[in-house]
Amino acid sequence: MNDHAPSRDERIAGLKGLGTSRRRVEDARFTQGKGNYVDDMKLPDMLFGDFVRSPYAHARVTAIDAEAAKALPGVVAVLTADDLRPLGLHWMPTLAGDKQMVLADGKVLFQGQEVAFVVATDRYAAADAVELVEVTYEELPVVTDPFKALAPDAPVLREDLQGQTEGAHGPRKHHNHIFTWEMGDEDGTEAAIADAEVVAEEMIYYHRTHPCPLETCGCVASMDKVNGKLTLWGTFQAPHAVRTVASLISGIAEHNIRVVSPDIGGGFGNKVGVYPGYICSIVASIVTGKPVKWIEDRMENLMSTAFARDYWMKGKIAATKDGKITALDCHVTADHGGFDACADPTKFPAGFFNICTGSYDIPIAHLSVDGVYTNKAPGGVAYRCSFRVTEAAYFIERMIEVLAIKLGIDAAELRAKNFIRKEQFPYHSALGWEYDSGDYHTAWDKALKAVGYDALRREQAERVAAFKRGETRKLLGIGLSFFTEIVGAGPVKNCDILGLGMFDSCEIRIHPTGSAIARLGTISQGQGHATTFAQILASEIGIPADDITVEEGDTDTAPYGLGTYGSRSTPVAGAATAMAGRKIRAKAQMIAAYLLEVHDDDVEFDVDRFVIKGAPERFKTMKEIAFASYNQAIPGLEPGLEAVSYYDPPNMTYPFGAYICVMEIDVDTGVWEIRQFYALDDCGTRINPMVIEGQVHGGATEGLAIAMGQELAYDEMGNVKTGTLMDFFLPTAVETPHYTTDHTETPSPHHPIGAKGVGESPNVGSVPAYSNAVQDAFRAFGHIHAHMPHDHARIWKIADGLGLHA
Amino acid sequence: MELSDEILISAPRDKVYAALMDPEVLKASIPGCEELTRLSDDEFTAKVVLKVGPVKARFGGQVTLDRSGAPERMSITGEGNGGVAGFARGGADVELIEEAGGTRLRYTAKADIGGKIAQLGSRLILGTAKKLSAAFFSNFAATITEEVEEG
Repeated sequence: MNDHAPSRDERIAGLKGLGTSRRRVEDARFTQGKGNYVDDMKLPDMLFGDFVRSPYAHARVTAIDAEAAKALPGVVAVLTADDLRPLGLHWMPTLAGDKQMVLADGKVLFQGQEVAFVVATDRYAAADAVELVEVTYEELPVVTDPFKALAPDAPVLREDLQGQTEGAHGPRKHHNHIFTWEMGDEDGTEAAIADAEVVAEEMIYYHRTHPCPLETCGCVASMDKVNGKLTLWGTFQAPHAVRTVASLISGIAEHNIRVVSPDIGGGFGNKVGVYPGYICSIVASIVTGKPVKWIEDRMENLMSTAFARDYWMKGKIAATKDGKITALDCHVTADHGGFDACADPTKFPAGFFNICTGSYDIPIAHLSVDGVYTNKAPGGVAYRCSFRVTEAAYFIERMIEVLAIKLGIDAAELRAKNFIRKEQFPYHSALGWEYDSGDYHTAWDKALKAVGYDALRREQAERVAAFKRGETRKLLGIGLSFFTEIVGAGPVKNCDILGLGMFDSCEIRIHPTGSAIARLGTISQGQGHATTFAQILASEIGIPADDITVEEGDTDTAPYGLGTYGSRSTPVAGAATAMAGRKIRAKAQMIAAYLLEVHDDDVEFDVDRFVIKGAPERFKTMKEIAFASYNQAIPGLEPGLEAVSYYDPPNMTYPFGAYICVMEIDVDTGVWEIRQFYALDDCGTRINPMVIEGQVHGGATEGLAIAMGQELAYDEMGNVKTGTLMDFFLPTAVETPHYTTDHTETPSPHHPIGAKGVGESPNVGSVPAYSNAVQDAFRAFGHIHAHMPHDHARIWKIADGLGLHA
Repeated sequence: MELSDEILISAPRDKVYAALMDPEVLKASIPGCEELTRLSDDEFTAKVVLKVGPVKARFGGQVTLDRSGAPERMSITGEGNGGVAGFARGGADVELIEEAGGTRLRYTAKADIGGKIAQLGSRLILGTAKKLSAAFFSNFAATITEEVEEG
């Protein structure tokens, strides 16, 4: 017999709970090619759908001739808007209160818009048939510029809305105008700017890009006509919301719809929305009585499913001569494409862009956002960021740099001078948020020290001098960024999507032998939920993480929740997990007290057991308690050990961080090289440091892509110019730098375990760091601002514009 | 997208000018041309198979000639539709200059391209267009030269 009783530390380590760099349990299958993605699904008699898409960005559809396509062997059906109209499914609601054509209803509004849906017995027949569908188009004038779209004589894009002066978010000022969203004190801000000693103004454009997950969007719809049940497998970041929306628009009772998200190969916001492919697959399955699969190809993904950004942000920032910011004004012209399909909480048509005062104590501010229709694809999703937060962070972090230049003050010092101080939390921002906690100065000082900031500035000055002497053709840029994210949407009192409150949930069942299953309303797309949520639970209920299965994504088994995006899983579902765990623990305490024959108050929880207070040698382990809960009649207690929690967060969480990028730039070629990238994140309580580090690496690499070249570019005819990975920049190991990660830990005061969420911070924080590095490299030559993306040609143009090639 | 180039054809100018309106010569010269039908003096319809990168499609379209500048100049405008592959429209101004050894043909062409072929990126499109137009004019030059030699 082994007499060794594990020490308390060994028991804690054995749980692999909070703070442990536990290896991701998902990776065994992912790294061996054993993942189960929607395109891996094969069902008997399954059919395949494919879209006929518009080559025009704006055109009337005058005729569709599908006879030749239907005659092709293997083709089962060709659906057009006329087939969907009797079902009322030729249009569908968007998440932003607008509606969108499922299949072209008389006209098309963007290149790649869905015109007809071909269903065939295999993918090849479907693809061949797509080429045989003859569509007659009558070209209409194209508008791809949101400012031109608002010209009085601009073509009317949304004829269905003509004459409607009221939209989902208030009055419409023009036939291509969607909404105006206004926050803050306009008059006060204007007065403060008029009185200011110094004012810096700049137009900051955050270009249109795309989340481009490696796995594109897709689904398999299967209508079982015998029992009346519809099952929909797909790449859904919010499976429960998809079920509710599918029920509302199809009329199929919600209990007869089962939505399953299998493994998802990255989402980054692209898989939040509802797309025509889902609706058409469902209809095709109902019509044919067979399962129908639809999977986008890469070009379709880039040109038709949700894009991100495309914000023109005009800023004015006012300050005293010695650098104390006194006011901020921002006006955004937001290009939403042909339909407003942004995935924002209903009351926030520009998301949480009003976090644009950033990490700074700005006494007064004003923001207005105008949403505009153009002949581009719909979307406007939060690409690895909370709703419009990366736009806001980029805006303020560029404005700070522009102000620093105007003031002649070091940009690091200007930031420190204006940070919200530690003792000001909870901090009420001028644009309406209550920041939960933060310690910005400590994080900033740590970051500046880690990179050797003062030495870098000296080196930069020496480099400029050497450049002017003709000794080098390379410049050094120091890109500073300090960001505050706002994540964890959100409190039901102000956050909902299509009326669905943004709470989340966790349901736990402890098995008699002391292992457990936890199901959540969220869905991992690579974040590692099965690893980290088990760790939260392990620390809460004293069952090793290795003994806990985490399951998500099947609406028939998982509790209702709003899904995974906007870094909301840990702040909301993670909180629900902790709260459900505490319910388990409360019942376990009563069972332990009964078993130990003492009063409930006389036992206390200790790592993996309840002990008698003052007599820790007398205890019952959670394993013993679990067994007893099922198998011992305990007076006054129901058998079993289960709990469920629906968590409505009292506030958002506010992760923050300091990112610094040091970049070498070749003036003659525009080629850049990142010499150093330092990322300090404060995401509150750290659940799994290794997973956090992985998230930071991934997010900083997506940020690199966005800042340095990734772009969804359109020409004047509305052609998508970057529709393949040849032109759409995805970094590889060649471009990706080494990242140094660091942290401070300022727990959220209102979250049960103090965690804040981290998945999106690195995208929010890194984009300004990269962009600021490029712009800072040219600062000594009078450069103030240039738009992203900073590809080689555009960097070369900055240098050329400054006369550095002379 | 704009292209321009020039080529020396060893044939007299009137011969070159006539050949530019000869459906048989054009059909033989246009890369991938399957059909070229004359509708009137100045109007043709054409069916052309085009391959740009991974996209291969049959384009059907109309071509109109403007001969008001004869015998020095000719303008060509046209548009074609390749279904899901996209569409194209554009034109070319052709100038014929008599010089020793034949006729110098100088052209500037302008084209707008939409749909899938346009999405493949301007570097592919431009490269392909240059290759195709170069192929056309060298085929054209060869065809005429042959005719002149035979004739």
